[in-house]
Amino acid sequence: MKKNIILLFITAMISCKEDDATPTAPINDSFDPTTATLLKSGSLAGIGHTVSGTASLYEGTAKKIILLDPFNSQNGPDLKVYLSKDINASSYISLGALKSTMGKQSYEVPGNPDVTDYNYVMIWCEQFTVVFGRAEIK
Amino acid sequence: MKCILMVRIKSLIFISLFLPILVSAQKSLPTKSFDLGVGGASNQGTLSAAYIYDWSLGKKEKIIVGIGGRVTSYIGANQYYSTAPAKLTSGSTGPAVFFKENIIANIDTFLIAKPRVVAMNAMINLGYKVTQKISVGFNIDAIGFSVGYKTRGNYINGSQGQNVEAKPTVFNLLLVSDNDLGSLNSEFYGKYKLNETISLKAAFQFIFTEYTTEIPVQQFPEPNDRFRNKSSMFSAAVSFQLN
Repeated sequence: MKKNIILLFITAMISCKEDDATPTAPINDSFDPTTATLLKSGSLAGIGHTVSGTASLYEGTAKKIILLDPFNSQNGPDLKVYLSKDINASSYISLGALKSTMGKQSYEVPGNPDVTDYNYVMIWCEQFTVVFGRAEIK
Repeated sequence: MKCILMVRIKSLIFISLFLPILVSAQKSLPTKSFDLGVGGASNQGTLSAAYIYDWSLGKKEKIIVGIGGRVTSYIGANQYYSTAPAKLTSGSTGPAVFFKENIIANIDTFLIAKPRVVAMNAMINLGYKVTQKISVGFNIDAIGFSVGYKTRGNYINGSQGQNVEAKPTVFNLLLVSDNDLGSLNSEFYGKYKLNETISLKAAFQFIFTEYTTEIPVQQFPEPNDRFRNKSSMFSAAVSFQLN
């Protein structure tokens, strides 16, 4: 406990918080969907927020890709892209931070897992545990 | 590990039982007081109520030793909890964990949007009367239990994650460093006596809250379901002397 108290005191003195807002400049990733096989696809819908577009899961050479194209989202802090087994994200794979609130963007699924049971793509505000939008892909 | 745990539990029980007897050798009767406090920091806060028996020791009765009970209600928003067991964070469970560096690879994160914990603990108070009106000291929860609603949290382990239910760890026990169990409050404080009945207290508060997930979400290096948040905040309290 004493070690923790000292660490806490130091942390309290030097820590600060940043708002990790997502970039808003439109992007156009180079991923070419004609070079991969479409496995699943679905429309993105906002959940209490404005999100629209199409999410697609592709299988490429030894890797799987989630493509958001077209894509548009309301901005927010710490937005992440999740590939989830259900609508509650009870079990999910994080594809990383949302690259931009607008434009074509691709995300490699880390580890090239079996994605049979992963049927949802979610735009998830991780810091505040809020779902911005999701697509059921099938 | 169980042996060490039992020895520590016995030590705390021994201290709790015999402290009043030891200090009763002093001439003065214990001072009874009731403290009501509030603490706050970014996205979190506490309300606390404590009933404390303090004995004044020494020739000039400047040293304060006390025991009591404290209820602390912790409320937070979007708080990160980390792997709790010392066996994972430090690689061992003995007193030596105090001196060991954390093993970062073993520490995972559990993010809780709305942590709410009510901890009810026996506490120990140590203080020193600087003047007739001013005293300083330290108090810490020792043993007790916690209650709180189930809530969902986000277990984050690299690219893998799970949103699962969790509830406050029921049993609280002060041990050494990350060997601690459950939710424990502590304060470094200064106290100013306004009159014979009322004192004002300002404190720097450290509170650990702990959640247990419904399933052991962490699997490496071994299954784990306990996650701890360590918070520091400033607090203020009014202390009512009851005798």
